[in-house]
Amino acid sequence: MDRAIQEDTIVALSTPLGRGAIAVVRLSGPRSKDIVGRMIGKTLDQRLERRALFARIRNGDHGGELVDEVVVTYYRRPRSYTGEDMVEISCHCNPLIIDRIIELAVSHGARMARPGEFTLRAFLNQKLDLSQAEAVAEVIHARTRQSLNQSLRHLTGKLSERIHEIRDEVLGYLALLEINLDFSDEDIEAVSYEVLHKQVEATQSHLEQLLRTYPYGRLLQEGIKLLLLGKPNVGKSSLLNALLGQKRAIVSDVPGTTRDYIEAGLELDGLYVQAVDTAGIRRTGDAVEAIGVQRSLEQLEQADVALVLFSSPEPPDADDEALLDLVRRHRERVRFVLVANKIDLGCEPALLFRLQSTGLPVVQVSALQEQGIDQLRAVTRQQVVDESALESEEVVVTSARHRDALRRAAQALDSALQAIERQDPEEIVAVDLRYALDALGEITGETTTEDVLNHIFAHFCIGK
Amino acid sequence: MDRYDVVVAGGGHAGIEAALATARLGLRTALVTLKKETIGKMSCNPAIGGLAKGHLVREIDALGGEMAKIIDATGIHFKMLNRSKGPAVWSPRAQADRLAYMREAQRRVFAQPNLEVLEGSVSGLDVEHNRVAAALLEDGSRIPCRALILTCGTFLNGRIHIGLKNFQSGRAGEQAVTGLTERLVALGFQTGRLKTGTPPRVHIDSIDFSKVDEQVPDNPPTPFSFQTEAIDRPQLSCYITYTNDRTHELLRSGLDRSPMYTGVIKAVGPRYCPSIEDKVVRFADKERHQIFLEPEGFDNPEVYVNGFSTSLPEDVQERALRTVPGLEQARILRLGYAVEYDFFPSFQLHPTLETKRVEGLYFAGQINGTSGYEEAAAQGLMAGINAALKLLDREPLILDRSEAYIGVLIDDLINKTILEPYRMFTSRAEFRLLLRHDNADLRLMDKGHKVGLLPDRVYEKMLKRQEEIAQLEAWIGETSILPEQFNAQARVLGSAPIRQSVPLEQVIKRPEVRLGALLEHLPDAPVVQPASVAEVEFRIKYAGYLDRQAELVEKFRRMETTLLPEDLDYHSIPSLSAEAREKLSRIRPRSLGQAMRISGVRQSDMAVLLVYLEKHRRTGKDVSRETVRV
Repeated sequence: MDRAIQEDTIVALSTPLGRGAIAVVRLSGPRSKDIVGRMIGKTLDQRLERRALFARIRNGDHGGELVDEVVVTYYRRPRSYTGEDMVEISCHCNPLIIDRIIELAVSHGARMARPGEFTLRAFLNQKLDLSQAEAVAEVIHARTRQSLNQSLRHLTGKLSERIHEIRDEVLGYLALLEINLDFSDEDIEAVSYEVLHKQVEATQSHLEQLLRTYPYGRLLQEGIKLLLLGKPNVGKSSLLNALLGQKRAIVSDVPGTTRDYIEAGLELDGLYVQAVDTAGIRRTGDAVEAIGVQRSLEQLEQADVALVLFSSPEPPDADDEALLDLVRRHRERVRFVLVANKIDLGCEPALLFRLQSTGLPVVQVSALQEQGIDQLRAVTRQQVVDESALESEEVVVTSARHRDALRRAAQALDSALQAIERQDPEEIVAVDLRYALDALGEITGETTTEDVLNHIFAHFCIGK
Repeated sequence: MDRYDVVVAGGGHAGIEAALATARLGLRTALVTLKKETIGKMSCNPAIGGLAKGHLVREIDALGGEMAKIIDATGIHFKMLNRSKGPAVWSPRAQADRLAYMREAQRRVFAQPNLEVLEGSVSGLDVEHNRVAAALLEDGSRIPCRALILTCGTFLNGRIHIGLKNFQSGRAGEQAVTGLTERLVALGFQTGRLKTGTPPRVHIDSIDFSKVDEQVPDNPPTPFSFQTEAIDRPQLSCYITYTNDRTHELLRSGLDRSPMYTGVIKAVGPRYCPSIEDKVVRFADKERHQIFLEPEGFDNPEVYVNGFSTSLPEDVQERALRTVPGLEQARILRLGYAVEYDFFPSFQLHPTLETKRVEGLYFAGQINGTSGYEEAAAQGLMAGINAALKLLDREPLILDRSEAYIGVLIDDLINKTILEPYRMFTSRAEFRLLLRHDNADLRLMDKGHKVGLLPDRVYEKMLKRQEEIAQLEAWIGETSILPEQFNAQARVLGSAPIRQSVPLEQVIKRPEVRLGALLEHLPDAPVVQPASVAEVEFRIKYAGYLDRQAELVEKFRRMETTLLPEDLDYHSIPSLSAEAREKLSRIRPRSLGQAMRISGVRQSDMAVLLVYLEKHRRTGKDVSRETVRV
C-alpha cells in the first residue's frame, strides 16, 4: 500500500515510562532496519529476522561513547505488528538512555510517531480486521484528545507564549524579506543581510536557551531516580527516612537489614524523586546478600543520581574503596553525591580528604539528627538540574516532540545563517526561514503563508 | 438563436482567454459582451505582469494562452522587476498602450474561427437535470449551449461610489449586470460582496514633468511570450512623485464624505491595494506615499495616477491631487472611484473551475473573488480548457501547486476562505524556487501542447532547449577545471585560487562565480542560449535547496493522488473533530493532500480519514485512485 503517510519511518517508546527495568523503543516503516543497523553498526538482514540480537548503541557512527547495551529484534514485513518492517530495541529503562536512542533514530531519518500511529499502520496494512476500524479511529481520537489536553496546558502556559514570541520574531523578519521580494516596488526600506544575520542569531540563541531546559522539563514530567549506595549499616535507610521526613525503611544497627531494595517517592523542590534504598554493598560471602548487591548494581544503571554514603568517624576501609572504584567507573553516566554520614559521632579527616580528592560534591550529614539534610537536598538538586539553563528561562520544554520541532527550527535557522553568509539571494534565505516557521508552527498549530502575508499587511503600507 | 457548444459571458481578460481556448479546441463558441468595442479593456491599471503576476502571464503563454502576445505587441514600458534579486523572483511587467491593447485583443478575438461575438447581457441560465442548457440574455433571447463560462468581472450588481454619491454601474460609464446573481442564488449558490477601487486619470499636458523623477524602461525590453523574438515598439518612461503632509491633511478632511469611512460601503476591499485615504489613516506616521504616473499610450492623453486609488468626493480628489509635486495644475479626465460587486465564494468550484452545483457552468475571474487581469486571464484559460476537454470527453487539466502559480491560484481559491479580493504573491507558492518565470516553458509547454493550444513549432523549440540544458549539465558533470583556466578570473572575482584541477561543478557553486562568464573561458563547452545557461547555473548553485523542495513535492504529490470519494459523508465519521467535519463537508476535498490544506483539519483528522478510506476500500465501495491530469 503506497500511502504517503507510511513512507516515513516512525519511532517511539512503546512501554510505559519510568517503571520496570527494561524499556522497548520501536521503529516501523521502510527504513527501520537501515536506521537501527546504522545505530548498532551491524546489518540487519533476513537471517536475523525475529532473533534477539545483542548489540551496543554508541553516539556517532563508530567508536563513539557507549549509550547502552541493548537487545535488538527485527521483524520483516509483513510479519510484524504494523505489517511493515519493524525493529524493537530493548534497552535499560533509564530516561536519558531512552531519549538518546530515540534521538539517534531521529537523526538517522526516523520521525517521532504521532498518537496511535503504530495502530493506524497496523490497520491500514490489514493487520487488524474491519470490526476494529471504528476502535482504531477512536484510539487515535482519544489519544489525541489526551495530548491535546497536554498542549492546552502548554497553550495556557508560558511555553506556548514563548514559542509564539519566537515565532513572531521569525515572522517579523521573514515578512521584511518577503516585502523585498513581493513588494520591492513599494517605498519600504529593505532589510539588510547584516541586520538580518543578527536577528536570526538572536532567535537561534533563544531557541537554544529553550532547548537547554528540556533535560529539566523531562525530569519534571518523568521524575528522577535517586539511588542510595553504601556499605551495610552506614545509615542509608536513616538517610532515606530523613529525606522523606518519615519512618519508612527499617532502621537497625545490624548490618544488612535491607537485603533487597526499598523504593519510596519523595519530592525535591518540585521534582518527583523515586528514591531507591539498596542493600549495602560490601565484599561478602553471604549468598542472599550477594544477590542484593547485584541488584544494587543493576539499579545503578538506571539511576539519574546516586548518594554514596560513608561513615564520617572512620577512615576509608576496603569496602569504601571498592565503592569509590564503582563510582569512578560510573561517574560518566550517573551523577554522584558523596555523603559523610554520622557527623554527630565524629569526623575523620582522612575520610574527608579521600572523598574530596575525587572532585565530586561531598556533603556532611547526620541522618539520625537530621543535620545537613537541607544542604544535601540542595546539592542533589544541583546535580540533576542544570540551573544555568533555567536562570533566564522560566519556560520549560517538557515534550520530546516539541524538543524535536524546536531543534528542526534551530537547524533551519542555522542553514539560513549560512545562506546569508554566502550572500545567497533572498528567496533562498526565505526557504530556510519558512522551514523554521513550519517547525515552530507544528507546536503552535499555525500555518505559514497566510501569517506572513497578514503580518505584512498589518505592519506595512503596501499597495498602489 | 443558434446553438453553441460554449457561451462565454464577458469580454474581459478572463473571457478572452476562455473563448479563444474553446474556439481553438474546435468548439463552437459565442462570446457575449455588453459592447464589442470594450473587449480587452484595461479598466484599472494599464499594465500587465508585475511581481508574481508576471509569472502567471508566462504560464498562460506556455499553455498556449493569449495575454503575453497581446502585451508584447502593445507594451510601451517593459521592466524586469526584482532584477537585483535571485532568478526565482524576477518578474516581467509592462505598461500597455491601453487603446492599442484593446484593439489588439479585439483583432485576435474577431479573427478567431469558431468564435462569434454577440452583444448583450447574460442575465440568467437554463438548467436541465443539473446541467447548463442555455444562456438567457436580458433582451429575452435564449442561447442553447453545452457549457457556460461566466467571466463577469465587477459587473454583477456593480455599484460605483464617488464620495457619498453612488449609482449602479459595472465600470466607469458602463451599465451593471442585474438578475444573474439572483438566478444563481435561486439555484443554490452562495454569494458575497467585494469592493475594489481605481485612481483618477489626469491629462498628460497638465503634468509638470520637471518636478517628478523619471523611470526609464529596460533596454532592450524582455518579451513576455516565449514566441516573441523581440519588442520593436517605441518605449515611454514612467514617473514617480510623492504625496506630502498637505495632501494627507486634505484627504483626512474628506473622510466624513468617504463611502468607506461613513459605512456606505460594507464590502471588503483588498489590503494590498488600499485607497490613498486608507493609507493615510492606517499609516499616519508615514510622511509620504509613492505615486507612479503611468502614461496610457501614445495617442491617449490619459495618465494613470498609480497609488492614488480613492473614492473620496470629486472636490477632495482634485484638491488633494494638486498638492503633489508635478500635479499642481493636474486636470482630472476621469475620477477615481470604488466599485462594489457580487462574487461567488470559490469553494463552490471543482479544481476545473466548473461549479459543483451545476454541470457545465464555469466561473473565472473576479466572480471568484480574485483581483487582477493576470489572475483573471489564468482562470479564464483554465476554465476554457477544461470546459473544452470535458465536452470533448477528454481528461481535465489540473495543475498542482508544485507545477505552476496557476495551480497555487486555483488551489487557494477552492480551499481558502476568500475574505478580500485575492491577488497572487510569490510568497503564496511554497515551491517558489521551482516556479520561475523563465522556466514556465519547461514546466508547462508539454501540457499546453497536449491540450492542443500550443503550436508544434513552439513546443519543439522548448524540447530543443530541454536537450541543450541536459547537454550542458552532462558536460559540466564530467568536466574538471584547471588552475590556469580559472585562477586569472578568480583574482578578478575575489575568489580563492585553485591549486589543482577540481570538478567544474564545485567552482560553479561558489557564490561569486557566474557560469556564463566561466563558460567563455572554456572553449570545449557546448554552446547554448543564455536562458539555458541561467537554468543550469541555478540548478547547480542551489542544488541542495532544489533537492529538498523536490522531495517535498514528491511527498505532496502522493498526498494529492490519494483521492477521497466524492460521496463521502463526513458527518457519519464521529471520530473527526467537529470543525473538520464541517469544513470537509463544505469544501469536499478531492484528495487527502487537499484536505490537509484546509485550515482546521488536523493531523489526527487525517489519520481518521485514512482509516475510513481503508474501510471504504475493504467494503468494496470503490475509492478511485487514478490521477486526473492530462
